Amino acid sequence: MDWNAVGIESNFSSLDWCIVVGYLFVIVAVGVYIKRYITNVTDFMVAGRGLKTFLAIATMIGTELGLVTVMYSAQKGFTGGFAAFHIALAAAIVTLVVGLTGFIVVPLRRMKIMTIPEFYERRFGRGVRILGGTILAFSGILNMGMFLKAGSIFVMGITGMTEDIHLKIIMSVLLGMVLLYTVLGGMVSIVVLDYIQFVVLSFSLLAASLLSIRYLGWDNIIETVSRMKGEAGFNPFHSEGFGASYVVWMFFLGLVSCAVWQTAVIRACSAENIRTVKKIYIWASIGFLIRFLIPYFFGICAFVYISQHESLRSIFMPDSGSVDSQVTLMAMPVFLSQILPAGFIGIISAGMLAAFMSTHDSYLLCWSSVLTQDVVAPWFKKGLSSKTRLLLTRIFIVAIGIFILVWGLWYDLGQDLWDYMAISGAIYFTGAIALLVFGLYWKRASKVGAYLALICGFCAILGLKPIQALLGMDVSSAIVGLTVIALAIVLMVVGSLLFPDRGKPSEHKE
Amino acid sequence: MNFWINFWTIFFIASLTLFAGMAIVVSIGGFFNIRSLFKSL
Repeated sequence: MDWNAVGIESNFSSLDWCIVVGYLFVIVAVGVYIKRYITNVTDFMVAGRGLKTFLAIATMIGTELGLVTVMYSAQKGFTGGFAAFHIALAAAIVTLVVGLTGFIVVPLRRMKIMTIPEFYERRFGRGVRILGGTILAFSGILNMGMFLKAGSIFVMGITGMTEDIHLKIIMSVLLGMVLLYTVLGGMVSIVVLDYIQFVVLSFSLLAASLLSIRYLGWDNIIETVSRMKGEAGFNPFHSEGFGASYVVWMFFLGLVSCAVWQTAVIRACSAENIRTVKKIYIWASIGFLIRFLIPYFFGICAFVYISQHESLRSIFMPDSGSVDSQVTLMAMPVFLSQILPAGFIGIISAGMLAAFMSTHDSYLLCWSSVLTQDVVAPWFKKGLSSKTRLLLTRIFIVAIGIFILVWGLWYDLGQDLWDYMAISGAIYFTGAIALLVFGLYWKRASKVGAYLALICGFCAILGLKPIQALLGMDVSSAIVGLTVIALAIVLMVVGSLLFPDRGKPSEHKE
Repeated sequence: MNFWINFWTIFFIASLTLFAGMAIVVSIGGFFNIRSLFKSL
């Protein structure tokens, strides 16, 4: 792609570069300054657990609003039109229901569980913890495999870089920054940074939405989408668009991202008490709604803008019809680079990049801790010393960092990034849903049923397009995901009935 | 199709308004929360 050849020039100026570098520097400086106040572990826990309502909400949404989320959501808005809004609506409804009922999260909080594999051990035994931890880490690392590439494509699109070599350089530089940030340690847990992120990103995303509407005109947006995409651009149940099975799949995804995904469970379980857990989830429903909705809208606006510029249309919407996933990922940042004024682009890019670093920080720590605590440590009867654990965690962080660099450069997506994220996560959560729901709410759930459900989750890998191409099949990822969930539940029930656990039931059963 | 156009239009405007209101309240409330957090630390 050569933007110069088609007469496209980004509004990203040297002023914006100064803002980005300055903002990142200030964020790190604030983190180092605040560290002085966190003198010991007790203070750290006070800062993490004793959060008052407004600050808890700000940090929660600040954590959820990441650059990768914005990128994959904008791509979905670009390819799906207004019909993609149903994903945001599903996420909000499910999170609200979890908040009102306490489904899954309240029993977990009551058990004082901090990680899902820890629940596996308490309910089903050590073997299930090791297998579950291995699958969780594999699925989670695969899931973040495209983060680095998505972040780099954003930087390329918004700054107007075009060459393939730029992508490789940006990915390497971003990885270096992320590893440095993570090694500085504990930055993400400092709530003040999340609060700053919330304020900067909330208001800049709202302002960018209003600027987009002002630039394109609401009637023009509606008219263009209906002309180019027809009813499928608005009706999520339309067979030429998402379809009913996809909508059902999205409701499952909504449940997973708020109640089953490891990073969300940590938040629920570190809340002060059960009442706070429910309150956080009720408020989080707005956060889960907006973190999808605004990026979808950016994607739709990018679609409208590009369709009305012939030079861009030949790149993003060629007559041949098929467009590489990397190209559609680039649509939103290219659109923003054209309509946002210099200075404002710098603020929004800086906020996005800071969010990108804190997302990586928490994910790298999350998966490396799972590998250390749930996969390696249980093999040692005497346990590991804290020094060994720390060393192992750091080795895993660097190894995962190298993996996401190589994977991002090598793996050919072949589908929307959101669908890749959903199906790679499904390797873990299809089995995890069965273990959590039946483990918490059904006394007869047994170890054999748990093993069968976990192993069944691996079948979700068939939803990845390169795997399908290898096997010569073509099934939608939604159908694969829903089938595997149904199969995992059946195996859990049948396995538990045929091979019940011996001895008295665990004291932790609900 | 008109139903869906109207539905998503109202949904989008309502969500944006709700979020804008929440962002203002949470930003102000969060600032005072941080002040008291620092005080206690």
